Amino acid sequence: MRCNSIKVTLFYIMPEGNCFVFDATNGEISKALVTLAVEKTLLNMGKPVLDEVQHRLFANYKSYIPDCYEHPEYLKNVLKELYGNCYNNIVQSIKKNLEEFITKKPIEHFLAVISE
Amino acid sequence: MQTNLEKPQTKKYLVFSILGIGFVMLAANLAGQEITSLTTNLLLVPLPGTLVVLSIIIAARFSAAGEHGRAWLLFVGLAASWFTAEQIWLVYDLVYKTDPFPSMADIFYLAGYPFLFLFSIYYLKPLKEAISKKTIICASFAAIALLTPSLYMAYDTDSEISTFELVLALSYPIADAIVLVPALIGVILFFKGEVNFLWSLVCLAIVLNVVADTGFLITSMDDSYYTGHPIDILYLWSYILFSFGVYSHIQIFKRHRPNTKSQCLDDLR
Repeated sequence: MRCNSIKVTLFYIMPEGNCFVFDATNGEISKALVTLAVEKTLLNMGKPVLDEVQHRLFANYKSYIPDCYEHPEYLKNVLKELYGNCYNNIVQSIKKNLEEFITKKPIEHFLAVISE
Repeated sequence: MQTNLEKPQTKKYLVFSILGIGFVMLAANLAGQEITSLTTNLLLVPLPGTLVVLSIIIAARFSAAGEHGRAWLLFVGLAASWFTAEQIWLVYDLVYKTDPFPSMADIFYLAGYPFLFLFSIYYLKPLKEAISKKTIICASFAAIALLTPSLYMAYDTDSEISTFELVLALSYPIADAIVLVPALIGVILFFKGEVNFLWSLVCLAIVLNVVADTGFLITSMDDSYYTGHPIDILYLWSYILFSFGVYSHIQIFKRHRPNTKSQCLDDLR
């Protein structure tokens, strides 16, 4: 619990060279990691795949990809809607991107829910 | 991909198109060989043409990026090659009134196969978890079972044909057998309930094309083939299945207005 209160300064450098500097808790870092892993996996498949997932998350749950950190079932349902029984392959890819951080409880929980 | 995105209307149009083409070809065959030849050649302008347009739309949507993007770019190569081949065939058949085999058309037909094979590999990639070794072995055996008699027939043909013609005649069954393996895997996945019908249309189209090629080979061997032969219905149906398969992907991955945080950020950058 104490760990969650530690503030970490994050630098997010955008492709154009602009830079955001902000403080983040462990929970926020995990959320950012999950968001990046999901976006990277979907972008690897193609930009329209990411767009479609974002669109369905918003249309069905009024949510965005970062919100899937708290509600992994939203992402799971959207992926199932799009890819049916074969969505597991995408889940495996997300897992691979989060391999290093799998020991973190919230990330472990996120992966457990989307893999169910 | 057993999804809930299948639209009954799309299926209705598909059935209507298949029945329509079948009816037109049947009527043309009853009207005589010349009418049949003209009808088939003329149908082979809009059908592959539509496929080229649809494949360009989906490839442009994915901007050739990502796994899906690469797959659809390869599909554009296939559609363009086969469209060119069909038009060359038409010119030889209707304008020059000569036998289009062998001709430049064969080069474009054969050029389509590497595109088709690579496309089907990329197309199946998201499903690799669902593909078992048993499925791959079954599909491979089926392809070999089709290849052996086809190769025998092609090789056992008229001894007066040139080496070039023999190589061309042998190339088709080999290329067909290679593309048949991933296509059959796709069809098996459909019957196992892993993928939906519209998704499997592209694989079904490949299988239909391979069957049509085998039929073409058999009818060519006994000199009973003519443009518009009932076996050509399979080629026309294959173009329809390809087109509906691509169209279903265009429908799934349609453009959306920015309504998400990241999309709004993308616009601001």
